[in-house]
Parts: sequence; C-alpha cells; structure tokens
Amino acid sequence: MDKVDGTEHYNFKAPADLATLQVIILDTNPLAWATFEKSSSLSFPAALSQLLIFANAHLAFSQSNRCAVIANHIDGVHFLSPADPGTDHRDPGEADLTPEDLKEIANQNASKYRVFRLLEDEVRASYRRLIKNTTPEAVMACPNSSYLAGALSAALTYINRICFGGTGGRSSGVPGDEKSKVNSAGGKVDETGRTMHAKILVVSVTPDPANQYIPVMNSIFAAQRLKVPIDVCKLRDSTVFLQQAADATGGVYMEPEHPQGLIQYLMMGFLPDHLARQSLILPTKVDVDFRAACFCHKKVLDIGFVCSVCLSIFCEPPQGAVCSTCQVKLDVTSLENIGKPVVLPPKKKKKKKAIDSLPESGVASAAESPVPTE
Amino acid sequence: MADSDEDFVLSSSGDDRPKARGAGGGGGGGGGAAGSSRRSTRKSKRADGAPAPGATKREKWEDIQRSWDNVVEGADGSIAGTVIGLLEATKRKRLLRDTTPIQRGIIRHLVLILDLSSAMLEKDLRPTRFLLTLRYARDFVTEYFEQNPISQLSIIGMHDGLALRISDMGGNPADHLTALQEKAFTVEPKGASSLQNALEMGRAELFHTPTHGTREILLIFGALSSSDPGDIHDTINSLIEDRIQVRIVGLAAQVAVCRELVMKTNDGDDSAYGVILDEGHYRELMMAATTPPVTKTEEKSVPSLLMMGFPSRTVEKHESLCSCHSNLTKGGYICPRCTAKVCFLPTECPCCGLTLILSTHLARSYHHLFPLKNWVEVPWSEAHTSTHCWSCQSPFPTNQSQTSSIKIKIRNPSTTAATATASRSNGATTTSTAPKNDHQQQQQQPPQPPTQRYACTDCKTHFCIDCDIFTHESLHNCPGCQSLSEERVKARANMWPPSIGDGTADAAGEPTSSSMRTQVAEATKMLENSKIAPGSSMEVEN
Ligand SMILES: [Zn+2]
Ligand SMILES: [Zn+2]
Ligand SMILES: [Zn+2]
Ligand SMILES: [Zn+2]
Ligand SMILES: [Zn+2]
Ligand SMILES: [Zn+2]
Repeated sequence: MDKVDGTEHYNFKAPADLATLQVIILDTNPLAWATFEKSSSLSFPAALSQLLIFANAHLAFSQSNRCAVIANHIDGVHFLSPADPGTDHRDPGEADLTPEDLKEIANQNASKYRVFRLLEDEVRASYRRLIKNTTPEAVMACPNSSYLAGALSAALTYINRICFGGTGGRSSGVPGDEKSKVNSAGGKVDETGRTMHAKILVVSVTPDPANQYIPVMNSIFAAQRLKVPIDVCKLRDSTVFLQQAADATGGVYMEPEHPQGLIQYLMMGFLPDHLARQSLILPTKVDVDFRAACFCHKKVLDIGFVCSVCLSIFCEPPQGAVCSTCQVKLDVTSLENIGKPVVLPPKKKKKKKAIDSLPESGVASAAESPVPTE
Repeated sequence: MADSDEDFVLSSSGDDRPKARGAGGGGGGGGGAAGSSRRSTRKSKRADGAPAPGATKREKWEDIQRSWDNVVEGADGSIAGTVIGLLEATKRKRLLRDTTPIQRGIIRHLVLILDLSSAMLEKDLRPTRFLLTLRYARDFVTEYFEQNPISQLSIIGMHDGLALRISDMGGNPADHLTALQEKAFTVEPKGASSLQNALEMGRAELFHTPTHGTREILLIFGALSSSDPGDIHDTINSLIEDRIQVRIVGLAAQVAVCRELVMKTNDGDDSAYGVILDEGHYRELMMAATTPPVTKTEEKSVPSLLMMGFPSRTVEKHESLCSCHSNLTKGGYICPRCTAKVCFLPTECPCCGLTLILSTHLARSYHHLFPLKNWVEVPWSEAHTSTHCWSCQSPFPTNQSQTSSIKIKIRNPSTTAATATASRSNGATTTSTAPKNDHQQQQQQPPQPPTQRYACTDCKTHFCIDCDIFTHESLHNCPGCQSLSEERVKARANMWPPSIGDGTADAAGEPTSSSMRTQVAEATKMLENSKIAPGSSMEVEN
C-alpha cells in the first residue's frame, strides 16, 4: 500500500514501522497439564483461552501483526496455526453438533473481529484434531516427553521464512545490496534485511529435556543471531534450559506465582513488542545458573577440566589421561601441580602414585584424592 | 555463472581501471599464476622459474560460459523450471560440504594482518579497498568470536613498509573493535607493504601461545609487491617450524610468493589462498576463516586437558572495582578460585590466571564438532508425500509436469536413474548439483523442474531450500529429527552427554508402577477435559 504513494522512500529508515510476528510454543502434554491443574487450579482449556486472548491482543496492535502457535506435544511438534496445509481442515468437534448449535455459534461469532475468529477457530480445531489422535496409552508411554528443541527449531525456521524471506538474517554486507533487498521484498526492510520483528513465547509445564542440551543450545544461538527474544512463561518445574534461553536472547523469564491469573502475566510481561521493551524494566530473572556439570557424574562444577579437542567437561583428570568422549590422549603435564599443596616437593614418585591410585570408577572427589601424609 | 561474461566485458573495456584484474576475471583465482607472477615480488623469482602448468591449457578467456546456454525449455515451453533450478543450485553449492565429524582446532589463536599500504587507496572496491577492508575486519572480529568464543585474536597492519600493531592477542571482541576504530581507521594508507615484517610480528605474537591451540595468520593483501628487509623464505621456514598456518586473501591478483607461503604452511594445500572477484566474494573468503580449521592428521597441536573455572554471576547493591579494568561495576562474575571480580567472559582471571568461561561458550562450539548432515534433493517419485515445507509451512510446487516426467521415464529410464544416484551421492560426497545439470544437457532432454524439496537423510522430512540453508548455516539442528522420534535424538545425543545434568528431573518424572493406574485415569480425564466445545465462550472469569 505504501508503495503506491511513494511514502515508502521516506519512512524506510524508521524500523519502528515493522510489524511483529508472535510465535507461541505451547506444551500440550495432557499428563503434565493434569498434574499441574491439581496443584494450581489452572486447567488447560482455561490456559488456552487466556493464551488466545493474549494472541488477539497482539494482533490488535497492528493490522500487519501476525501470530503462530506451535504445540509441543507428546509425539512431536505440531503447528496449530497456521494449520498444517496437508491435513484435514475440518473440525472434529463439529460433527457432534446439531444445526441449531452451529447457528448459535455463528450468531455468537458474527460480531467478532474476523482476524481473532480465524486464529481462535484454527487453533481450537487443530488442537482438537491433535487430541483426537492421542490415546491415553500414548500419553503414558512418554509421560514427560518434550520436544523443546524441535519446537524452537520449527519456530525459528518459520520466523526465518516470514521475517527474513528465508535469508537467515545475514545481510551480505556488500554496499548497494540493501537497496535490492527493499525492492525484492516489496516492503519495509531494516538494515539486516528483516521485514518483520519476531518474538517467541514458550509456555512450558514439562521439565527440561535433558537429552536435548545441544540442540536446544543451538536453537538459542540461532535465535540470538536473528535477534529474536525467547520469552518464557514457566508454569511449573523451573528449568535451566529456558532460563538460559531467555537470558541469552534478551527475553523475559517468569514463573507465575498465581497461575490462575495467567492472563495478567501474559498481558503485562510478554505483550510489549521490542520497541516498548526498550523503555520498560522487564521482569526477568537475574541469577541464571551458568555453571557447568561434568560429563562423568553430572556434578555441578565451579572449576573443571576441559578436553581441548572435544570440549568435554570433567570434574577431575580422566583416567589414564584419555578423554572418555573423543578417546584422545591428553597432555596433563601442565596440570600436575594443581590440587596439591603448594609446599609439596615435586617428586616424580609421588605424582605417579597419585595418578595410579585413582579409583576405577573415577568417583573420587577432590577431597578423596590422596594427600601425602609423610 | 552469469557473472563470467560480465567480467569479460568489463576487462576488455576497463581502460580506466588502474590495474587489470587479470587473475580474477576468469572466474577463479587459480588461473592467474603465470601472468601475475611477473608483477610479484623480486624474491619470488625462484618460484617463477618453474614452467607454469597453465601454459598447455586453454586460456581462461577462451573458455567462456554463456549463461543462456544452460537454459533449456521445459516441456511446456517455459524456462521457469530451469531458472529455479539454477538459483537453487547456486544456493546449494555454497552449502554442500563435508559433514563427517572431524577434529577441528576449537581453541584458536589467530593474527589478522591488514594491508594499510598505498595500494589500499584503490577504488576498485567501493568505497575504497581500505574502508571496505576495515568494515569487513570489524564484521570478522564479531563473527570470529561468535564462532570461536574461547579463542584469541590479534590485529596487525602493514603500513609504510613497517608492521603496525593494532591490537594485542586477546579474547575480548570489544577490545579489538575499539583498537580498529582508534588505530586503523585513523591511519592514512601509505607506502609499501612488507610481508616479512608483518609475518615476523605475527610469529612473535603467536610464539607464546599454548600448544593445544591452533596458530593461524589471516593476511589481507592488497598490494602486488612486498618490500622486505631480508629473505622472506627464511620467514616462511620459521613459520613452518612454529607450525603456523597462513591464509591469504588477495585483493588484486595472485602473487607467487603468497601462493608459496600458503602452500608451505598448509602442507602443500593452497586452497587457503584466494583472490577476490568482487565485494561479496571478498567477504566470503574472509568469513571462511571464522570456521575452525580442520586438524591435520600429523598432529599440529598437542591435545591437552585444560583447567577452567565456571564463575557464577553476581549482582551487587553497591558498585565495586572489577579486577580486569578497574572500572566501577555493579555486577560481574566471581572467579571460583580467587574470588576476584571480572566484568567480561570468557577471560583469564587477572589475579590467578584461571581461564574463566560460561558453559554456553563451550556449547557454542559443539556444532563444529558434530555438523548437521547434508540434506538430499528429493526426486519427483517421492515428492508426492509432502505438499509443504515441514518447518516453515511454505508450499512446494505440485507436479504440474507429471505427465512429461513420466514420458521421460518411458523414453529413457537411465536418465532418471542417473539423477537419482546423483542426488543420492550428494549426501556422501561434496558433489554439487552442477554436474547433474550438465549431464542432462548432454542428453538433450527437456529438464524436469526441480522438486524444490530437500530431505533429511535421518528423519526423511522434506524441507525447502531456505530452511535447508538456514538450518545448516545458523541453526545446526534438523527440526524434523528434533521433533519426531525420541530414539533418534538419543542416538545422536548419546555421544554427547548433556552438560546441565538433571538426573533429578528425570527421576522425579519417572512414574512409579503404583501410581501408573491413577495416572492413566488422569490422562483420560485430561483428554476429555481438553475437548473444548467449538465456539465456547472466550471470556475468562475474573
Ligand atoms: Zn565428574
Ligand atoms: Zn575429548
Ligand atoms: Zn573489567
Ligand atoms: Zn582467579
Ligand atoms: Zn521451509
Ligand atoms: Zn532430520
């Protein structure tokens, strides 16, 4: 529209005009929600209604704002909105309704803003489809499964498509290239080639998927690159992964004390877009746990030993100085005097003894390591 | 490539250009050795004496590729299919690389040498070589530390025959960026450049670096000659002795001594020497150096065990001095060994010398060690299983030319078979899609439009080209594998135990057999609960 009257040329420099894409990643693990409901009296349908109000509020801010909802379900990741184009679009719930019911619904919806209704209908229909295909047995088979990394990856690729036109947010840095980008995108573009801003909101009730550490971290770094903040609304089980995600990407991390009032947290904490956030003090966690855990015993460490080849972390020099992850013989000579009293005379014999006497299991902590008594 | 004929036109009419870009014009840096060595340094005469291998070959300019020769009409008479195919082929050419997990030098020490001689005042790169180089250098510093968070960098300039120290070996990108701003941008490019002086200074910088890290020099060379105080071959030999790898980006033409320098310091491999074609290629060559180098078999660096501290972050009520800059700061990281406060990570504790990092810094490098596998092009025979990209939801083209492709199959089944094998081999080797196109042209077949689907070999999910590039360049995860089957994820993650362990969370989540029954009941109830009636009211009770 702006192209026609030529104003595009003048306001192209102002990034303020860019719309925002909100991607909501929602845990839909039924068991996790059932357990959560018992402790907090917030049921999933209520939470979904409140989330949809949040999404509508986002859409109401600007005509060109967009919203996507991704379900992190027990059997994988599903797009709730935009719904999978490949699947059946009919709402499985509608089959049970009489024509009178349908009429009433139509009357109810007649005065609703069309964009709101489309989103609501799509999310609810996709969600019902999802639940219809989920059996209690499947829920029991994987009670705590979470595909956080997959959901974040899907969200980021979707953002890459919608906000960057698939360019990955990498401006080529070649002078004169920006111009061509404006033309090809046919709209407003900021200096990194993005046509929209984006943010991700993760609403989570499941614990950290411990086996997805690397993929989750990779997703966090990709979000950092795209300058997409990851907001986290952690309803139960505070997690390290999501804390780090919010911290690294500049997102908001919240653990609502009163989950029944979810809508308040959503509206106050997560709704502001990136421009508003610049002038707000956001509720975010300050003390993020960045300490590493050793690969051998999962012990949280202050000081650790790192293999220079594969960057595995150990709480003590591995046995025989061979890295257990990459099987490379490591040079430990520079560490020989570490962890021993400074006054100890550096005798070859004693060092050897110290290494030999490492227990087989390698469970010895620093305190148990042999201390010369003579 | 379409640019090759443009270049041809340019160089024939390029009288106003001060120096003919002979080597670059042909479409590759490799061919110019014979011509450009004349212009190279006097000391490289020895290398000049050898008969140039290019003498028997056809000259580059005799081998003109016309972009319109590649365009073949499809069955319906349109060329849209070919155009999309060519576009995707160029996109993918950059992408396909060897993805076998290889040992890489993750802890790097790199000296960036910038040319600040009078040759940098040339305006063949916009706005000038000098300004563009400094701009790219700034991007390079940022990208280098993003890719290699636990590595070190130092910057040296070649100015007026001398080596000019811009920044010292260090791991803080901010320091290097300030140094560039203060010391390099203010310099007026002047005089000759001296390879030997700069390399010797770089060698001195790298002399004290620990043996477990890499030692590299990245040289941006704009001039075509070098004025050296001594014999540069002595310097090359001492670089080899100190196991320093040199990469060079040439801005004008190939110089024989540079090639020799790169070959000798990289075990006879001169792929680390590139001459730029244009601004985009310049950036590409420079940014290629941000990827950690592959560790050569002959053990250039000694792997060792490093002691590192993982400090915790603190926020204080009142400001206190940090021990690194003596600035008043309110927060920072506390060294776990000596409790000194530093304001920036990763760094070395200024008091006790312990390397201080965050676990996230280590995590940043993991994708270099376990790269994501290349995805393969999906043939039309399997394309019907998907209608849209799994992760970005953009639609795939439907098979409009279904009939024509069937015809091709009937007429010449070997073509489709060859196509299938070519695309299958993409995964294993670094074959680009270009040979496949040639193959089809030889057969004079109307080419099939590409399916525009790319499949992960593990989870068989179909993705579009943009997602392919994005996942391989930025994300390093397959969205399909991460969200389809837990077993596959485990198989990959088994090699790599998670660093933030929580056996606790797992144990807590594990359902005990006694409560199993109640949980099934709960789940059923839950499923029923969540069947929200369509059109149910959206209002929440306050
Ligand atoms: Zn351990
Ligand atoms: Zn290792
Ligand atoms: Zn400081
Ligand atoms: Zn210290
Ligand atoms: Zn896609
Ligand atoms: Zn996959």
